Amino acid sequence: MTATALTTGPLAAARPRALARRRPPVTVILSLAVILLVLAWSLVPGLFTRHDPALGVPDDKFTAPGGQYWLGTDHLGRDLLTRIIHGSASSMTSALIAVAIGVVVGGVLGLLSGYLGGWVDAVVGRVVEVLLAIPGFLLAVVVVTALGYDTRNAAIATGVSAVAVFARLMRAEVLRVRTSVFIEAARVNGGSSAYVLLRHVLPNALRPVVSLAILQFGVAILVIAGLAFLGYGDPPPASDWGLLVSDGREHLLHAPWLVIAPGLVIAVVVLSVSRISRWLDQGRNR
Amino acid sequence: MSTAATLPRRAAAPSAAAASARRYAAFAARRTGQALIVVVLAYVLVFLVLAAIPGDPISAQLDSPQAGYTDAEKAQIRSFHGLDRPVLVRLLISLGNAVRGDLGLSLSTSQPVTAVLGAAIPSTLALAVTALVLAVLIAAVLGLLSRLLPEGPLNGFVRALPTVFLSTPNFLIGLVLIQVLAVNLGLFSLVDPDSAGSTLAAALTLAIPVSAQIAQVLITALDDSAGQDYAEVAASRGLPPAQVVLRHLLRPSLLPTVTVVGLVLGEVLGGSLITETIFGRTGVGTVVQKAVAAQDVPVLLVAVVLSAAVFVVVNLVIDLLYPLLDPRLRGTEGTR
Repeated sequence: MTATALTTGPLAAARPRALARRRPPVTVILSLAVILLVLAWSLVPGLFTRHDPALGVPDDKFTAPGGQYWLGTDHLGRDLLTRIIHGSASSMTSALIAVAIGVVVGGVLGLLSGYLGGWVDAVVGRVVEVLLAIPGFLLAVVVVTALGYDTRNAAIATGVSAVAVFARLMRAEVLRVRTSVFIEAARVNGGSSAYVLLRHVLPNALRPVVSLAILQFGVAILVIAGLAFLGYGDPPPASDWGLLVSDGREHLLHAPWLVIAPGLVIAVVVLSVSRISRWLDQGRNR
Repeated sequence: MSTAATLPRRAAAPSAAAASARRYAAFAARRTGQALIVVVLAYVLVFLVLAAIPGDPISAQLDSPQAGYTDAEKAQIRSFHGLDRPVLVRLLISLGNAVRGDLGLSLSTSQPVTAVLGAAIPSTLALAVTALVLAVLIAAVLGLLSRLLPEGPLNGFVRALPTVFLSTPNFLIGLVLIQVLAVNLGLFSLVDPDSAGSTLAAALTLAIPVSAQIAQVLITALDDSAGQDYAEVAASRGLPPAQVVLRHLLRPSLLPTVTVVGLVLGEVLGGSLITETIFGRTGVGTVVQKAVAAQDVPVLLVAVVLSAAVFVVVNLVIDLLYPLLDPRLRGTEGTR
């Protein structure tokens, strides 16, 4: 503890401490508000808009953002904000699926690898190394090609590309926890291997993994949006955020809002997620 | 064999130098072997995943009535591509051929895969190298500003920028750059994607999210160094802040920074897919996209494994350079 206090600069040391004690800073509260709003969009989109996401008013096509259409309309006169709101459920669910796959598969691999050691560790280690060597986005593209193009498969592919980082972190955490005195005590008391693993090792190794999971939720939104942008998600009547940007691309010159608005929504949501993740991380450390 | 052995050494400890060189050589050989295995396993993994594509990749072309193939001809074409054999046999044959330098034929154009990729590599290489250079420059500016600006809102802004960069989808960055630089300011033409201006804009698109990761590591490392005794001594001697940062903080921060530059290479290679599409370039990224659309497995396989191989080799080189860059690591190589 003293050692860490000495090695961190005044700038670095002062901040986390201040953050950890007091109530969350404004940026964190704003971030939470953004996430809650998007969750509400996903659950009850009808509450937030009176337009129909699929039904356009042809006379109003390419209306610039303004009083009647807050974020403007597209080439069919559909309200962009409505399409973003109705697309949020799919974008959020996909990111959730992706993170769940990463946490569960990666977590189990890392847990077994760190706890059992030996050949399990060697095999898992190699697999993780290979998964990390293939650029993540390319890996996701390969997997979604094999599974077929739709949003669910894009989510699964994104999850597969995240397995390695979770496995690596979980293994490191298990190795750290495994040598603790309380684990030794649990073993001496006659706890079975599975009991010690689930009751003592897992809960203590989980916290950093949870914070990574939140961060990865943001990454997953970006990767899934990228896949949708390239056309590997559900086809057009759907309004996934990445797809909206790719639809708007054709009209970039005369209707830039069609690209910028959904793009900014993605950016703001991801930014909020990573702000929350960083805040949780700071609260935990030191 | 190793550079350590050729460095001029004083006569004091020739045997120690030789032992150190031997250790380094063993470490280098082991790491190179590991890297080779990873590339081969990546080939196996990608091959197996792509083998899961439902049906076989050329069925769609062959079975369409317009193609007008008889069943016998279809079977012949399939067996020419080896698609009538079990997956594992195909894997072994394909791997064996790859090791001998035969990477197969494209299923959609029947050109050799090496020719398809060979034509695309120079463009992607130019893009990736420019992007990495830009990313390092942006990260260096952010890192230096984070130490030189007085604590306050401006400093906080600089420190928050990497997170903002990382959160922005790269297609948004690319499209906004096109809109602003090409359309509004007319700095480059959209017609010629290989022009210097267009390449720079594409590279900037790739560089912005990547620079963020480098900047985060650099800023943390600089902050760590700033807390060290020698940095406080340097500052208390009355050296100007810029000199303290450049002479005393930057050097020890270079190692983690170099490591992360190697690691972000994956993002550059993956990101080129979207960037090349947006800017209309023809590089490895667009080859991948075409191969995906046509389910051209041989091309897709080699393109992805090639990207993995580049990533592995660059990181191997960085790993091997470590002990040469940092004297503190010379005795302990292999512990990483």
